[in-house]
Amino acid sequence: MNPLLEQFLSESRESLQGIGEKLMQLEKDPASSELMTELFRFVHTLKGNSGLFDLPELTRVLHAGEDLMDAVRNGVVAYSPLLADRLLDAMDFVGMLCDEIEKHGSTNAKHIDNSVRLAADLRQLIVVVIVSSDEVACAVATPLQPQNSNPASQLPLADLSEEIRMTAYRAAVSGETLHWIEYSPSEECFFQGDDPFFQARQTPGILWGGIAARHVWPALAELDPFCCILDFTVLSTASLEELQEYYRYVPDQVRIIPVPGRFFILPHGDPNGGPVYEDFVADALGLLQSGNMVGLTRATRSMLELSNPDLWLSAALRWLLLVTEQEPENVVVQEVIIISLRTLTHPDWHELDASTPIQDGDAVTPRFKPAKQTPEVTALIAAQREVLSMPNDVAWLAGRLKSVAASLSGCLQAIVSTELVASMDVALNESLEQQTSVPLLRWLDSQFEQTPKADQPDTSDTIYMPETVAVPQADAAVKYGRRSEDAYVGPKSIKVDQAKIDRLMNLIGEMVVAKNALPYLAGRAETVFGVRELSREIKSQYAVINRIAEEMQDSIMQVRMMPVSFVFQRFPRLVRDTSNKLGKEVTLILEGEETEADKNVIESLGDPLVHIVRNSLDHGIEMPDVRRAQGKPAAGTIVIRATQEADRVVIEIRDDGKGIDPAVIKRLAYEKGIIDEERLERLTDQEAINLVFAAGFSTAEVVSDLSGRGVGMDVVRTAIEKVNGSIHLESENGKGTCIRLSLPLSMAVTNVMIVESNNQIFGVPMGIVVETVRIARADIRTIKKNQATVLRGRIVPLKSLNMLLGQHDPPKANEEDELAVLIVSLGGESVGIFVDDFRETVDIILKPMTGVLAGLSAYTGSALLGDGSVLMVLDMKEII
Amino acid sequence: MSITFKKNCVVFCDMAEGEDAESLLEWLQKHPKGKIDLSECSHLHPANLQVLMAAKCSIFARPKDELLAAWLDTALKTV
Repeated sequence: MNPLLEQFLSESRESLQGIGEKLMQLEKDPASSELMTELFRFVHTLKGNSGLFDLPELTRVLHAGEDLMDAVRNGVVAYSPLLADRLLDAMDFVGMLCDEIEKHGSTNAKHIDNSVRLAADLRQLIVVVIVSSDEVACAVATPLQPQNSNPASQLPLADLSEEIRMTAYRAAVSGETLHWIEYSPSEECFFQGDDPFFQARQTPGILWGGIAARHVWPALAELDPFCCILDFTVLSTASLEELQEYYRYVPDQVRIIPVPGRFFILPHGDPNGGPVYEDFVADALGLLQSGNMVGLTRATRSMLELSNPDLWLSAALRWLLLVTEQEPENVVVQEVIIISLRTLTHPDWHELDASTPIQDGDAVTPRFKPAKQTPEVTALIAAQREVLSMPNDVAWLAGRLKSVAASLSGCLQAIVSTELVASMDVALNESLEQQTSVPLLRWLDSQFEQTPKADQPDTSDTIYMPETVAVPQADAAVKYGRRSEDAYVGPKSIKVDQAKIDRLMNLIGEMVVAKNALPYLAGRAETVFGVRELSREIKSQYAVINRIAEEMQDSIMQVRMMPVSFVFQRFPRLVRDTSNKLGKEVTLILEGEETEADKNVIESLGDPLVHIVRNSLDHGIEMPDVRRAQGKPAAGTIVIRATQEADRVVIEIRDDGKGIDPAVIKRLAYEKGIIDEERLERLTDQEAINLVFAAGFSTAEVVSDLSGRGVGMDVVRTAIEKVNGSIHLESENGKGTCIRLSLPLSMAVTNVMIVESNNQIFGVPMGIVVETVRIARADIRTIKKNQATVLRGRIVPLKSLNMLLGQHDPPKANEEDELAVLIVSLGGESVGIFVDDFRETVDIILKPMTGVLAGLSAYTGSALLGDGSVLMVLDMKEII
Repeated sequence: MSITFKKNCVVFCDMAEGEDAESLLEWLQKHPKGKIDLSECSHLHPANLQVLMAAKCSIFARPKDELLAAWLDTALKTV
């Protein structure tokens, strides 16, 4: 499952919960417009989000909910408990779909009916008030149309050619289901990019299709070609599920009607003729009754040969032949065809349906065939029947009837025949009114056969159409099994306030410090109290606690980790817009977006990266014609690549533009007074390029709104250094520029070296420490009051830490008269710092200076050490 | 363009897009007796179809694509 969908699900759950809460509160305070607005916002957000995904069922219900809430919010519709019920029901449905998406990754098309019904329910509440709005009323009216006993009997099947009807009939006999689809696309559908004709043509299992105009065509001058007034009709052999799935985006515009195969037997032709057929009818009926199929076929054929093929009679005979060939045992149908020859009228299959039990396999049966009837169900039904057969003259009859109904409805739901529940309820009410169990018993008998034959072939599943699903008002409306008492499956991800995680982070920091006190304690146990045993035990305990603490620290860091894609995602748009504005062609390549780092680090990356990319676009990449002249491809390339190296994230921004010309930089820096003439001579090219990081430096001749205001790269560097990162720039004139940012994975733990000076200890971040050396006093030279020494052929300036901190004690030397010097790297230059002694390196949780101390710029922060003492961490850049 | 307007005949080929419906309507208004050649047409957007139906124009050639032809037979009269 993709992260976006995951987030959608977790947010949807929140919204659903919010909707539930708001509805509950509204129940107490129905007049509160504030609550109503919040409720609307929840539904609105949810609907908007769902639109991102391919979830038409979900969006449909939410859309209806949103419309309803909008009407309520605007005072068009008043809040009512019924409204709350329906909305809750709809939200349960949404929740159920969310569960399903989580499990299977998508929703099942079988929910279309429910989603249409729920949406209609919700819209109906709006319609109650806005009767004048025809459009809405129509949309609602369609699914609520009174159910025709058999809509198939009304279909204009006679319009189809005989050939197609015969094909359909054959398909039905061979066991396929036939569906008649009426597809009336909305008038605006062209503007939504739909092609309903294409949609209709691609219907699965299509046998025949027709197009008709919804009403008479206006004069050409008044015709709006983009207002769809076409209706499409399709005859298909696909199953109902397939068709519903296919039309899942437009269920309210589609009517799918199952058609029994024999409905296609409609002879057509010139009814010219007379009593001459009477003999044939009598003969044929005789042959049929005696079971002489061969004779019947022969008689039919010879009659057919004698007749004009355009006659009604011939068509009927052709059908008779086909039926005899396809279903020789179906005597009823053959008989009806033969008899119809007398009157030359269409056989009324609908009437036949009602009067005789169905024999052919394709027909829709109103009766529940016990295909899924397990022995348990049979036993249960038998028991209910027995109960109903008991005498009626008892006082508790009503209770008894209700309990029977409850058992049956549970049973029906278990065998997925929920559509039967509504008819059972009718029978139950009748029973209750008449104070007798007869109606219910009759219903039971009509639905379930008393002795179901196990070997009965059954090709028909109970089919139900959108129209026949329980009418919304019925008590038996399907609930979604998600009432409040149901077990709630918690979401897999939770949103946590960042402050809570920070607190956890602080606590684990303290834990690390407290843990570090144990080795001191072990040492004291041994040296002060002389108990070696205890010391060892403390140490082994320390090892355990240490391991757990480290793992904890690790897990908490993981919580704070975010992928760099968080900052990368804004670049495609930025590059596109900027390059369009500048008239340049630029291809952006993002790599390693999944690399993770601490949230603070990632957030601090945003602005510097934008700056760098803008610089590349503005100064780096040349105009297409310039590039072509230089033999480069017209489109420039900017690559942003993130990688993880040990405990650091490295972000590389590389472009293939014109690069930086060191000569130009030198000249500009000199003109702006950033460097003096003497330095100008000595500057190497790399050093010159690094001058772009100097404050107040800008190479652009013209200040544009993109870059070049002189607050560029030095701001970038400061921002990166603030999170203990470093920045490195390489550029080749004419070839391109590459900037590498190196950032710590996490800022929580800092590795520092402890140094001692003037009886105090200080921390120095390991990131800037180059090496520790001891230099003999004799090797120190003094150049104009400044001390320096030669280290591996290079002059390193030396400073005393005591002096830097305003103390005048000289650094202490060791027995061999050597001074401890800590070499640190600052802005690419090495500086030696005199200290008294070096200590170990430790991981500390650096706490920035707060309150009155915040003004002390010499320190980046403080940390607690294991023995409880405070370590001040120096900010070397500030003090030198 | 999948619809070509000739002197007295409109020729459809491949997929006729909905954008062409407006120009088709204009053409048919100017040439009420214009002929329609659908022989090379594989699909036409319903907007075009509507125009053809409303104009009650004469179909000079049915599509070679039999399936499409069967559909159109229900909507258009062939000469």
